[in-house]
Amino acid sequence: MADAPEWATGVCAGLHACGSRHVVYVPDNPLSHVLRVLRDRYTDVQTTLATREEEAFGIAAGLYLGGARATVMLQSSGLGNSLNALTSLLVPYKIPTLIVISMRGDVGEWNDAQVPMGRAVRPVCDAIGVPHVTVESGDRAQELVALAGLTAFSTRVPGACLLPRRLTVPPARS
Amino acid sequence: MNRLEATKALIAQLDREPIVASLGHPAYDLFAACDRHENFYTWGSMGLASSIGLGLAMARPDLRVFVLDGDGSLLMNLGSLATIGWVQPPNLVIVVWDNEEYGTTGGQQTATAHGADLEAVARALGAAATATVRDERDLTQAIDLALADPGPRVIVVKTKESAPAVKPPLDCVYIKQRFMAAIGNPEAATTGGGV
Repeated sequence: MADAPEWATGVCAGLHACGSRHVVYVPDNPLSHVLRVLRDRYTDVQTTLATREEEAFGIAAGLYLGGARATVMLQSSGLGNSLNALTSLLVPYKIPTLIVISMRGDVGEWNDAQVPMGRAVRPVCDAIGVPHVTVESGDRAQELVALAGLTAFSTRVPGACLLPRRLTVPPARS
Repeated sequence: MNRLEATKALIAQLDREPIVASLGHPAYDLFAACDRHENFYTWGSMGLASSIGLGLAMARPDLRVFVLDGDGSLLMNLGSLATIGWVQPPNLVIVVWDNEEYGTTGGQQTATAHGADLEAVARALGAAATATVRDERDLTQAIDLALADPGPRVIVVKTKESAPAVKPPLDCVYIKQRFMAAIGNPEAATTGGGV
């Protein structure tokens, strides 16, 4: 197996440490590292690919109703697809989910179409009552993801961990 | 057969199976038919009832999970049928009350009034068993099969609108907590604790 980046192994260890054995996701390029680590090292974690991010939050809510702790992984663009699920299901019913968001549109972005939603992620989370923390370095990933999960599942609110592009797609060294 | 009559017929065949009800009239009729603790009433998130049902069926393979969806709601989340077809939860039963209209919002026609066939979609996307029923006798037979044989199963029930006059409890957390307790995983036992 190719060496996985430290942030990706940290995300997996963090979500596992807070008791999540289900990851429901819509993939993006950086998250493929996380999915590979889960496949290779965390065989007790079941991954489920949703067709759309809103659907992923519905599945995660159902998992919680059945007594399981779910993680939803998505790209920042997909948060826009998820707002009605968060605001009319997870937040009012107090259904906790750990949310791992691979950021686009932040520093290092090249695609203009990713910028508006990327810039909106934090203010949107604030506006709908979803706490968020940003993982600034790979060596903090495990700790911050685990803490975000602890807070989410203890206080019964969905909580987000943001993975900035400068973390997940580091510039090539020359 | 209107949707309330169909809901009552369905409930009469069930024991303590959990039911996830789509928002609006399907949830209102479920409440009117029988307010069981095993009912999870959604008050928003149109389209997600089948997704919630999928997650619940995955977490609790020991339970047979029923979803009461609407034609308009299912049309909003057809991708869910593809995911269900992939995951193949044998314990998931999706009942679609297909009245060919957006009943909760004033009766605007849905695509099923113009030929859209939700049973055919469910079959094409991988449901293990499907049916379309139009009267109470056929509904009863379809639910008998759903209780006996593995799914995932999608039962499209052609119904008339029923104009419900009552609504389920409004407190979302109350709905959730009594539901989780009733199906054997009370919330207090599933949250809290250290990392």
